Amino acid sequence: MSAAQPTLRSNLSITLASMRMRLITVSRYPGQLVMDIIIPIVFAAMPILLGRATAGPNAEQVFAANTGTTNYVAYMLIGSSVFTIVSFAFWHMAYWLRWEQETGTLEALYLSPTHRLWVAGGTALYSCLRSLFSAIAAFLLGSLILRVDPFEGEVGLAFLFILSGMIPLYGMTLLFGALVLKVKEANALINLMQWGISFLMGVFFPIAFFPPLIKILALLFPPTWMTNGVRSALLGVGFFFQEWYLDLAVLWASMLIAPLLGYWVFTRTEISIRRNAGVGQF
Amino acid sequence: MIGTVRVEALSKSYQVRQRKGLFKSQKSSVEALQSVSLDVQAGEVFGLLGPNGAGKTTLIKILTTLLLPTAGDAWVNGYHVLRQENQVRASVGCMLMGERGLYWKLTGRENLEYFGALYHLSPDQRKRKAQEIIDLLGLKDLADRTVETYSSGQKMSLAFGKALINDAPLLVLDEPTNTLDVPSASELRATVRDLNAQGKTIIYTTHIMSEAETLCKRVAIIDHGQLLALGTIAELKASLGRSQVTRIEGVITSKSLAAIRQLPEVEQASRTSLETIDLLTVVTRQGHENLPKLIETLNRTGALIQKIAPEEVTLEDVFIAKTGRTLAEDTTAH
Repeated sequence: MSAAQPTLRSNLSITLASMRMRLITVSRYPGQLVMDIIIPIVFAAMPILLGRATAGPNAEQVFAANTGTTNYVAYMLIGSSVFTIVSFAFWHMAYWLRWEQETGTLEALYLSPTHRLWVAGGTALYSCLRSLFSAIAAFLLGSLILRVDPFEGEVGLAFLFILSGMIPLYGMTLLFGALVLKVKEANALINLMQWGISFLMGVFFPIAFFPPLIKILALLFPPTWMTNGVRSALLGVGFFFQEWYLDLAVLWASMLIAPLLGYWVFTRTEISIRRNAGVGQF
Repeated sequence: MIGTVRVEALSKSYQVRQRKGLFKSQKSSVEALQSVSLDVQAGEVFGLLGPNGAGKTTLIKILTTLLLPTAGDAWVNGYHVLRQENQVRASVGCMLMGERGLYWKLTGRENLEYFGALYHLSPDQRKRKAQEIIDLLGLKDLADRTVETYSSGQKMSLAFGKALINDAPLLVLDEPTNTLDVPSASELRATVRDLNAQGKTIIYTTHIMSEAETLCKRVAIIDHGQLLALGTIAELKASLGRSQVTRIEGVITSKSLAAIRQLPEVEQASRTSLETIDLLTVVTRQGHENLPKLIETLNRTGALIQKIAPEEVTLEDVFIAKTGRTLAEDTTAH
């Protein structure tokens, strides 16, 4: 055999090469990173300004009664920053597959003796780095512009919720990636998905407002726990199970379930596609 | 390891949706390959010929594990394409999609190094191998420019280089000289010959018959998913028996073509329209004795003959005899 034998080290090297390749690629689109930071601030500014315009002088008290914090500016900023992480995960992973399919590089990947998950891992790492950078930068810059303290509360715990939520999140993107491979469409699916995601995760409001059925649906969605965990850690809005470690345990459980389910569905979809017209047909 | 390919009764069918207007569609099945059996021997350049949609790309995609067959078996370098996918992938170098399959925002060097990583080469090995390929293909001036700035031919050269990254014993090259200018195509063919001389087995698909004749030791002709002919070029030419090929230039009407095809001595007749004239290729049983009858039939049906010449059998003639049409005719039809 001509290629070197796969080892854990060489597979990890593929993941790093894949991440590096995508970082190089995005570095050749100047202006993209600036937009990544500005968009979450604009996204949060809209409900903040709407709230200020419509709620009158008691805005903070009314907001506190419903959410548990008077700091509605930070509440919205956290929502839009976490949404940035979630939205980027779907865009980067699903659009990555579609983009590779359209440019013909997906077939080239399938021709190599590398399991797609190692390459997907590289894309996920790249996406994590880019989305974390954008979300943190947007939160800090937004806090500066909108005059709130970004460091109040337990910053370390907030990070723990974000990092714990990212693993099930990328597991879910594999499910979504399988759908993109199957229907050969990304943009419309992601656009539609974004509205559903922002709604379910309570990007600008607490999910307590949902009717019972939708609330259950929202609680099955790991980003909902991620968002509430960060808000509770920084603003003290209250964990779903009262204690931070119980909420975190839910995220850790989904850390096992979501990636395994995503992997299973993705590999089944791959086989079905290879039985028919192949991954290259777009 | 020396590269070999064995294909046994390989079939592939898949479902397609035939669109009927805005919302209606109907499912139908396409038989892309029908019980194809062949072998590629170690160290040979094996040509795979066939018109568009004949099934040759389907065959190649199954051999490179991109598609799953519906029935049959295939082994590549001794590895089964279904049960030992990764070993198959590791032992084949592929150029399947022409200039597609490259990352346009990366440089040529970055592309080669990334694909080296996918074949489990260490960072040092990737760098060394990428440089070797850049030197071999004369891409030094382009190597550090992003691929989006390359010409179509330069992208093809890089795509060919990508197939060499894992130093595989078997190379699968699908129309590698497409979009290359004449000198570049000639250089690439010379490189293919050199690689073959170094012991690499090569599967080469092309629609340029002269290319297949000069490069390939054996060829297979595939059409409508069926293997129509397999053998050395000499064997295939000899298989036409005492057949005579006659080329006639002039104005050949459809009526003339139909009349020629009706003659009992005619095995195949094919017309290609060039800019101002038509070229009629007629394969007949027996030798020159049919010539007067051909001329008489053409005259009677309103054809204008400018030139008529009995010729040596070429691979193109074999192709016409097996498929009933020229490859040029097929390519323009698509």
